[in-house]
This record gives sequence, structure tokens and C-alpha cells, in this order.
Amino acid sequence: MTITKEEYPTPENEIASWEQDLDRVGFVRRALRARKWYGADWWFVAISMVMVAGFLIIAFFPDPFAPFGPNEIVGSSFLAPGETPPVPVLIVPQDSPVEELQDLAVPVGSERPAIAVEQGLPTSVALREQAQIIDDQLKDDPEELRLRVRIERYNTLEETLQAVVDEEVHAAVVQSTDFEVVKSQFPTLRASESIMGDTATAGGFLLGTNEIGQDVFSRLIWGAQVALLIGFSASIIALVIGVPLGLIASFVGGSLDRYLSLLMDSLYAFPGLILAIAITAILGPSIFNIIVAIAVVYIPTYYRIVRGQTFSVKAEVYVEAARSIGARRTEILRRYIFPNVIPSVAIIFSVNVADAILTGAGLSFLGLGLPPTIADWGIDLARGQRFIQTAWWMITFPGIAIMLVVLAFTLMGEGLMEIFNPKLRDR
Amino acid sequence: MSPIAIIALIIGIPALIGLIYILITGSTGLRRFVITRIGLTLPMVFILATLVFFIMRVLPGDPVTSALGPKGTPEIIERIREQLGLNDPILVQYGNFLKDMITLNFGNSLTGGHRPIVDEMSERFPATLELVIPASFLALSLGVIGGAWAASRRKRATDYGMRVYSVVIYSLPIFWLGLMLQLLFGVWLNWLPISGRIDPVIGTTLDRTTNIYTIDSIISGNWLALGSTLAHLVLPTVTLGLILSGVFVRLTRINVIETQHADYISAARARGIRERVLTYKHALKNAMIPVITLIGLQVAILLAGAVLTETVFSWPGMGRYLVERISSRDYTAVQSGIAVFALLVAVISLAVDIIYSLVDPRVRY
Repeated sequence: MTITKEEYPTPENEIASWEQDLDRVGFVRRALRARKWYGADWWFVAISMVMVAGFLIIAFFPDPFAPFGPNEIVGSSFLAPGETPPVPVLIVPQDSPVEELQDLAVPVGSERPAIAVEQGLPTSVALREQAQIIDDQLKDDPEELRLRVRIERYNTLEETLQAVVDEEVHAAVVQSTDFEVVKSQFPTLRASESIMGDTATAGGFLLGTNEIGQDVFSRLIWGAQVALLIGFSASIIALVIGVPLGLIASFVGGSLDRYLSLLMDSLYAFPGLILAIAITAILGPSIFNIIVAIAVVYIPTYYRIVRGQTFSVKAEVYVEAARSIGARRTEILRRYIFPNVIPSVAIIFSVNVADAILTGAGLSFLGLGLPPTIADWGIDLARGQRFIQTAWWMITFPGIAIMLVVLAFTLMGEGLMEIFNPKLRDR
Repeated sequence: MSPIAIIALIIGIPALIGLIYILITGSTGLRRFVITRIGLTLPMVFILATLVFFIMRVLPGDPVTSALGPKGTPEIIERIREQLGLNDPILVQYGNFLKDMITLNFGNSLTGGHRPIVDEMSERFPATLELVIPASFLALSLGVIGGAWAASRRKRATDYGMRVYSVVIYSLPIFWLGLMLQLLFGVWLNWLPISGRIDPVIGTTLDRTTNIYTIDSIISGNWLALGSTLAHLVLPTVTLGLILSGVFVRLTRINVIETQHADYISAARARGIRERVLTYKHALKNAMIPVITLIGLQVAILLAGAVLTETVFSWPGMGRYLVERISSRDYTAVQSGIAVFALLVAVISLAVDIIYSLVDPRVRY
């Protein structure tokens, strides 16, 4: 029996079908199908890339995500996540016909209604604004009613409410939560609805508010900008300086290489955070200085990896072959060495951005990196630490934000490292 | 005798005896390695010292003006500059700085009672030791066990779990982990104290000989103080140890996996030795050698982590000292603190390399 020509195993048949398919599809599909080969590492890279993309979008376009500005004071302080902020309510005697603020309006020329508030609370601001709004609406009214309230300030909550009981004033405006506490002491008083209508903060704040009433969630969103700016610019500056130095050192060799390596090794061994602390302590707090300090810290990382890789590639036979046919030095550097070094630099860059973000957050946590008005996660954590006994949300969420961003870059580096490092791949 | 001198004697004398023993009894290769390595440490210390000096003196910003603030009239500023030698030529200043560093005589601090900086550090340095040493042990044991476990179950759920653990731990800001532990165990469960080294009331009963409170309380038999010290030690140690353990899991895992491909492992497997014995005895033992060298490189992470941990837990160590003095703009103290950190890094990496050369004969020259 003879084997017909068709039955001979062709090279094509020996290759798994999905590998054959790879040759016929475009880049995107090829990347998608690679997951069969790399397994979990592929997923590491994919998930982290989606996360990085998400963070970049948030950093570039914070407006649609953040409900408030970074330094806007939007409510009372220390509101827990989802806790409804206390609203200013109108307090009137039980038998009074007044139901809402508008009922206090009087005809033009008669005595202005007096309303008591407690000193130093945001209630008086809310009252004045709300009265102005109602007054503007009344202007169009033919009945000639106007609402021009006279605000009387009292020192304590009890004095404020007592003034209503004594009929010194027509009504009082206090926080609803405050009134609940002392309600039993003033049986002749009742609270109406909130003096404001439905406000934007009716459902509370997603992640609560901080000690001066800024929205924690909005500050998180705005903080992404600062974190990514520091991470990327510091790493790029370090890369731009470190990679050429490494290439030059390994290519020129000799005493230049020796002294440069000694310097870089010393820098590398020194704790980066402490070096950055020293630099920022002298330069003073600003975003630019923090970037410079962190960039200096990471130059040796690039230098070392590029130098090491270049040395090992230089020893390869194909470089020697190129040299023997008379290729110029720059040619060898550009066509043979550089492409072999790039993958490691990509891995290091990814891990480096993560490190830089952590170091930056650490510096601002220590109060060294940034001016305290900037919305930054490290600064928010440092502010929250003082209130650890009362406000758990202030220290929980900025930390989670740092962790997620750093995790995205680290996972990407980790996945890429396993994919590029054939030593670890199963043989 | 000052506490720092006692600690220096406790650590330094055995180290010196060990070093001399190695130099006398060791083989030529080992001896040459140790001497070369010590020779390499000196330029490293020199470079780091120079770096610290130039950062502190040459970068823009005048320490005296900023330390005095608005009350600094030109005459006072000039007098203090003269006292500190800031008006000397830069090379003279540099020479003085190097001399100070070699003799460990840093002068008096500009703030906080104007005490000699060496005295201040001798109170702070033991605190850092007390935190850093147990944290390293915790990190190493967690890391080695976890890494070997992951490697023995390569490409299975455990392996991926340990990898995710190490990546997540690596991504955690150490100060945030500290805050979370404080919140959980200090505020919500109320089990452990969240700041300081010892209960202030119990602290007054403790005789401070070495300023390492655990040792002091054991020496003086003050069990109440020992309990309080240990309770205060738990959270900072766990914080620092957990963060470091992530790196060790990674290193051990990678090294054990690489070792598992070695011929002698295949040979042992062919003889029918069980997989568990293979991993934990044959592979792990050899994989530990590179891990030991990498401990030396982790010193940087350890010290940086210590600065942040000390800040979170109000732990009066060297890191806290540095941060405090930066905010009070005490530049002599800051400069000396950073110089001491540089010395520490150099000495620890030297020690690790020498230990490594004892364990692994291949690295000797």
C-alpha cells in the first residue's frame, strides 16, 4: 500500500489550528488570541491596561466624574458616606400658621420678619440665600409681598430656640439634626420642612465629606491628575536620562563606565524615599520639585538595566558578525542593541510609574511634597489621620485609590515580565 | 555609657571578631573577596556623603534664613552662619563635613533644646532597630514559606494567589496599611495601642540602658513594661513586615522555580523522592542563596518603609526624627540624619555580602 501525496503530513498540519489562524488575522485579534498561550499573564496585562486607560481618562477629563470641584466646600464636615447632611429647618411655635419660609413674606412697608440663627453655623448663609431666591420670585407677584428677613444671631442653640418661645423673633433656622437632640426641651416648638427645596446633596455624599466639608469622592477624582502627572513625568525624565547613560557607559566602557557605575550603584542602594525627602526638603514643596526629586531617584534603575542588557547583547554572535562586516558603532547600537533593550525598559517603566506614584504619595503624606491646597491622595491621608477616631472614610478611600492605580501599573509590569522573560516560561 | 555605644558594642564586637576570624582562617579567595568588598564600601560611603553634602549646601534655599523665619535679622543670620561655618569656602565646608561624619560628631541641633545631635540620635536609633529587626524576620519567614509554597504549585490557584498577594502588597502604600491596621485593631476592636513605643505611665518606671525597650525591660525584670512595649510593637512590626514580605515571596518563588529545572532536582525526582521534599529541601535550600543577596538590596525598602511607618505610628525612631527636623527646618540635624542613613545602607549591604560569600563559595574571587 502506498501513501498518496495528499496524506503526507504537511508542515501546516503539524501546527495547532489556532496558531495557523494567527497568521491570517490582524494585530488586535492576534493580541486577543495570545491569551491561549500566556494564560493568566495575558489577563494580568489586559486587566491592567483597561485599568490604566480608565485612570488616564479620569485624569484627563475629571469634570464629568467629579460632582464638585477639588477645593469646593459643599456640605457640613465629617458626613459619613451616604449620610444625609443635616438640613437647615424652620422652627416655629406649634400654633403658628407658618409652614415654609415663603409664608413669612409680608406686604411692602410693614415690619421685616426676624429670624434667629445660631452664630458661626452655615445656616445663616443658607437662610440669606434662600430668602433672596424667594424674594426674587415674589417680585413678579401682584400681591406686593416681599421677603426681607432680619437675621438675629444668638450664641447657643438653646438661646436661639428660646428666642422663638419668648416671641423675640418670628422663627428660627437651625440644623435638623441639632433640633432632634433638644426637641424634648422645647415642647411648644415644631420643625417645618427644610428651608431649601430638594438639593443636589439630598442623597448624601458617596464617600462622605472631610473635616472642612469638601466632598471626599470629588477630591479622589481630582487627585488622579496629580498622581499620574507625578508618576509619568518622573519616570519619563528618569528614562530619558538613564537609558542613554546606560548605553553610553556600556558602549564606551573603560573608566567612564567604572565611575558612572559606582555613582549609580551608590544612588541605587540609597533608600529612594529618603533621598527624595532630602531633595524636596531643600527645594521646597511644589509639583515640579517633587517630580525632579523622584526622577533623580529612578535614574539608576534604567541605567543599571540598560547597561546590563547592552553588555549581554554585545557578547552575542550576531553583533560580532555585524561588526566583522564593518557596521559602524552607531549602526550596531541602533539596529542590534537598542531593539533588544527596549522590552526590559518597557517593563521597568511600568513598574517605575507605580513606584513613583507611591513615593510621591509618601512624600505628600509626610507633608513634604506638595502645597496642602492641592487635591492629592497622600495629603488627604495625612489630613485624615488626625481624625482616625471619628472619620474612617477619610483615610480609607484615598488609600484604595493609590492602591488601585499602583496595582494597575505593577500588574502590567508583572505580566509583561513573565511574557518577555523566557527563563520562567515552562519548558 | 551612652545607649548607642552599648548597642555598637553588642553588634560591633561580635561582627569585628567574626571578620577577623574570617580573615585569618578563610581561604585566599574568601579573604580577597572580603577585603575587596570592604574596599568597595568606602567609595560608596564617600559618594553618598558627597551627594548628601551637595544636596544640602548647593541646591538653592538658605537653611539659616528659613530656620529663623521672620525673626531673623541680618545680624543674627550672619552670626549663626559664622557659627555653623557656612561662610567658609565650599571645599573647607566639605572637608569639615567629612571629618564630622568620620568622627560621628555632628554638633548641636538648631532646634529642640540645642542638644548634641549624637545624643538625640542615640535615643532614636535604638527605636528604629527595635522596629526594623522583628519586621525583617517576619517578612523573611512569610516570604520564604509563601514563595516556596507558590513555586511547588506552579500554575495552580495557589501560585496565582501568591502572585496576586505579592503584587497587591507591593502596591499598598505602607502608610495606608498602617492606618488601616490602626483603624481595625486600635479604633474599632480596641485591642492594641496605635501610637508610641510604650504606655507613658509605665514608661516612667523603665530603666533605659540600651533604649531598646524590650531588652531594657527584660534586663530590669519589669514585666509590665515588657507587655506594654510588645503591645505597642505589634502593629508597626506587622505593617512593615507585611509590606516587605511581598518582595520576598516574589524572589523566593522565582528562584525556587529556576532551581526546580536543575539537573540534580530531576535526578532526585527520578530516584522517587517526594515532591514536597524536593521543593522544601532540595530546591529551596539552593534557591535561598540568591535570596540572601537580595536581602541586602531590600535595605533601601526597609529604611524607606521605616520612615513612613514611624510617622504613622508616632514611633520616635530615626525616620520620625528626620521628618520632624525637616518640618522644624533644623538643617544640621537633617544633614546628619541622612548621613547616618547612608552609613547604615553601606554597612548593612557590606555585612550581607560577606555573609553571602560564606554561604556560597562561588562568589569569591
